[in-house]
Amino acid sequence: MLMHRALFTWLIFLVFLILLCLRLESRTNWNWFLIFLPIWVYDIVLFTDALFNILIRCKQETTRNLFKNKHYLIIASIFLKLAFQIMLCLKLEHKSLNLQIYHILLPIWILLPLLITDISVTLFKNTY
Amino acid sequence: MFFTKEELVKWLGLTVFEIWINLISFLVFTIIFVFKYDPSKDLESIDWWFIFSPLFAGDALNTYFVIIIFIRMLLEMTIKSSLVRISWSGTVLLMFFLFKYLLCKRLLGQTTLDYSEVFVPLYILLQLIAVRACQQS
Repeated sequence: MLMHRALFTWLIFLVFLILLCLRLESRTNWNWFLIFLPIWVYDIVLFTDALFNILIRCKQETTRNLFKNKHYLIIASIFLKLAFQIMLCLKLEHKSLNLQIYHILLPIWILLPLLITDISVTLFKNTY
Repeated sequence: MFFTKEELVKWLGLTVFEIWINLISFLVFTIIFVFKYDPSKDLESIDWWFIFSPLFAGDALNTYFVIIIFIRMLLEMTIKSSLVRISWSGTVLLMFFLFKYLLCKRLLGQTTLDYSEVFVPLYILLQLIAVRACQQS
């Protein structure tokens, strides 16, 4: 149900924002990977769900329809988002690594045009 | 588990066009951030207003779009539905704008607010989104 998914997402973001505030104000010195824990949990749930849906479709659909499956885009998005988050945490936690900002943002620069294109297609088809 | 575009539009009360504008402004923001952010400098000496300008421009475009929608709804539908629509969109836009404005001020050292106070608009928005989530069937 939409309500349950929405409330779960809401809870994840609320916990993340609280942890982020605590860390930014230096009230805790927790590892940045721990601060991002709610987001990791959410990504794992999303990934498992998308993978499960692909497996179900593999049984039901022909190969041609399988490539039209939108779950591939979701899995690619999750991997790009994970890459960004891991590099961001590494940059914040280990300053000696000398990671450049454009290295961290590279997955976002791949992900955002993909999303913008997907939404542009919806807009130009005038669905809504 | 993931949301379709239709579900997101229904839950968040934003149109696809508004989401599109927000994504584009965020992409431009990240590009300007990379060019203008210098880790060797102090946070307070970086021109954060210029870095955040695409996000403010996105907000301005969305506000213009929301006002157009409001006028059209007033002409074609009831006053009640148009008022409900503009009050929700106005609240979302105001809360995001306030957050970005306070964050800019905080990064520039022009205010002594804590980060938890800077994040207050987002917490208020999250509560409102939770109410909307409970209304979904």
